[in-house]
Amino acid sequence: MPITDPEGSRDSIRKIIHIDMDAFYASVEQRDRPELRGKPVIVGGDPDRRGVVAACSYEARRYGIHSAMAAVTARRRCPAAVFLRPRFEVYRSVSCRIREIFMRYTDLVEPLSLDEAFLDVTRNKKEMASATLIARAIKAEIREETGLTASAGVSFNKFLAKIASDFNKPDGITVVTPEMAGDFIDRLPIGKFFGVGRSTEARMHALGVRTGADLRQLEISDLLRHFGKAGRFFYGIARGRDDRPVTPDRIRKSLGKETTLSEDIDDPDRMLVILEEIAHKIEDLVRTHEIRARTVVLKVKYADFRTVTRSATLSAPVENADVIMTHIADLLSKTTDGRQKVRLLGITLSNFAGDAEAPRCHQQLPLPLFI
Amino acid sequence: MKFSIGKSDFREVLSKVQGLTGRKTNLAITETVLITAHDDSVTLVATDLETGFEGNYPASVEAEGAIAINAKKLHEIIREFPADEIQIHEVENRWIEIRNENVEYHIVGMNPEDFQQTPPIEEVTFYEADAAALRRMIERIIIIAGAPDDKRPHIVGAYFEGVEGDNDRLIRLVSTDGSRLAKTEWVLPPEATAPTGEGVLIPKKGLQEVSRFMGSGGTIHFGFQENHFIVQKGGETITIRLLEGDFPRYGDIIEREDGTPIEMDRQLFMMMLRRMSILVTEQYKGVIFEFSDNKLTITATNPDIGESKEEMEIDYEAEPIEVAFNPRFFIDTLNVIEDERVILNILDARRPCIVRGESDATYLSAIMPMKI
Repeated sequence: MPITDPEGSRDSIRKIIHIDMDAFYASVEQRDRPELRGKPVIVGGDPDRRGVVAACSYEARRYGIHSAMAAVTARRRCPAAVFLRPRFEVYRSVSCRIREIFMRYTDLVEPLSLDEAFLDVTRNKKEMASATLIARAIKAEIREETGLTASAGVSFNKFLAKIASDFNKPDGITVVTPEMAGDFIDRLPIGKFFGVGRSTEARMHALGVRTGADLRQLEISDLLRHFGKAGRFFYGIARGRDDRPVTPDRIRKSLGKETTLSEDIDDPDRMLVILEEIAHKIEDLVRTHEIRARTVVLKVKYADFRTVTRSATLSAPVENADVIMTHIADLLSKTTDGRQKVRLLGITLSNFAGDAEAPRCHQQLPLPLFI
Repeated sequence: MKFSIGKSDFREVLSKVQGLTGRKTNLAITETVLITAHDDSVTLVATDLETGFEGNYPASVEAEGAIAINAKKLHEIIREFPADEIQIHEVENRWIEIRNENVEYHIVGMNPEDFQQTPPIEEVTFYEADAAALRRMIERIIIIAGAPDDKRPHIVGAYFEGVEGDNDRLIRLVSTDGSRLAKTEWVLPPEATAPTGEGVLIPKKGLQEVSRFMGSGGTIHFGFQENHFIVQKGGETITIRLLEGDFPRYGDIIEREDGTPIEMDRQLFMMMLRRMSILVTEQYKGVIFEFSDNKLTITATNPDIGESKEEMEIDYEAEPIEVAFNPRFFIDTLNVIEDERVILNILDARRPCIVRGESDATYLSAIMPMKI
């Protein structure tokens, strides 16, 4: 079923691209160390110290290894894999380079993390009509300038663009036009929908919803009853409607990232590895949005869905992941870490410096250490 | 325990350990000094759990034993003590008498068994160094310290390494606060030996204690034992627990082939920076340096106070550069450069400025600009 544009006019259709770097950390390592190419490479914690996998190369994925898996499990599945500690400074500089490429086409770039971003190219600096050609050009420039491959999803909203980029990895490009959207969504497993995590997926299954087609059968009233406000959003995306804009610089009161774990864990060391990953994503947002926040908040949701938060307020705005992590380690020890299974971990920064406190003048730049 | 000791030596060492015993830790015992009397001397030990001090001083010992006593109060008592000879006596369990004929104090001690001992020094290879040289090195790099809540090892610690050059061997200390970095070296005399291999991260707080103990002359011995850095001078030993972590590879930051060297008079530049930093506040830390056509113009703008501008003639004929800096960083660096002429190397507004003395190759500082 083709999706009809709610505005009724083809001109108002947006052109959204989602770019997702392929096995980003691992690919950077393989790029910098040619001897690792074609080999299973795992970036993450130390398997001897109960680390977890932060990223792995496609060669490693063939062994069933995936991110957030215990590194020791990964080693068992593939003893030949090369384990590396992440070099976030390098990934960050590559990420900056990629963002420069995006900016050649549009200023409407919304980075989601170091390796993913949404671009709105409806109007673009090169006055190109085809978003598909733009995505192709961006992929080529990324390859040319960083030696890395990316996958792109091209569609008319964020939800479909993001799903599409995942469709044909690595080095793929998937276009979902309004005409194709209906079939595309119909076949989509419910777990792939934006906002459907582990627990929502289970509730959807309980309602007999396994694909987009099933979701579309539900009435708005059913969805609202079962999922509250999110129900309205599900009703929309089941019909290909998602009008969330691509926002390069959201004005925020707080900034946070959280991860629902693939399995509940009670090992504080593994929690710290996951939190470190989150901290680096936050550092990235802090830099991108030039945010000056002084309070670090740790969020822990236990297996029984009880949530606790612990916070620390610093004397100066948070600048990087290392600073976040020194406080997070303290804060984690103030929870019941190690004694209860945890299903979700998150870090939020708040207490943003207001205008009065923000330097209206110059900001100190950091030295390029660890590059 | 009972002994008598000369006031001046005792007072001096108690003054030196205040930096350690005054530091907040989770243990009350670290506010005390451990005094052990044996044979014809007393040993005094203080620690903040990271850095430990141990010194041995002659005393006439009547009865052996050990006490742990509040370092601050003991220091105040000894400092004001009206006699040259002081008697210290544990009259009963942890009830310590400090006296001469006319003055008498009784102070409650703590259990010496609770004292956190520093690891005993066993098989350590010691290297010799000039005390004044090492002290100078430390002073030149500990001005670069991070924010108090910044616990990253490469910020909290300074990188210490022995370097085997083509013609000489040297020891090197490197320190960074994330925005600037300083490197200082001491070329060893030809006959001296130096540690080689991987460098180590030594907490700057501990190094500060080292410089305090070192005095201004003589020879010290330093060495490493497992994860500790040890410095000995005379009967005194400092033991610092090393930090675990990586120090950035700083070579690319400090080595520079390109860029235009800009030579300046250190004093004149310093005075100019002082004048320009009058308008600098916590919120407006930056001033703008403009190098163009044989002229350096610095402007400071602080919307809350006002603005200032100053020009200086320099030799500069390259492309004009405009770049913002925190003038404090330059003042700190110029303060520890001894040459009368300094050389700046600026590439652009996004890469660090290198500052060094005209002839002194043993010190260099890299200062990152601010965003304009």
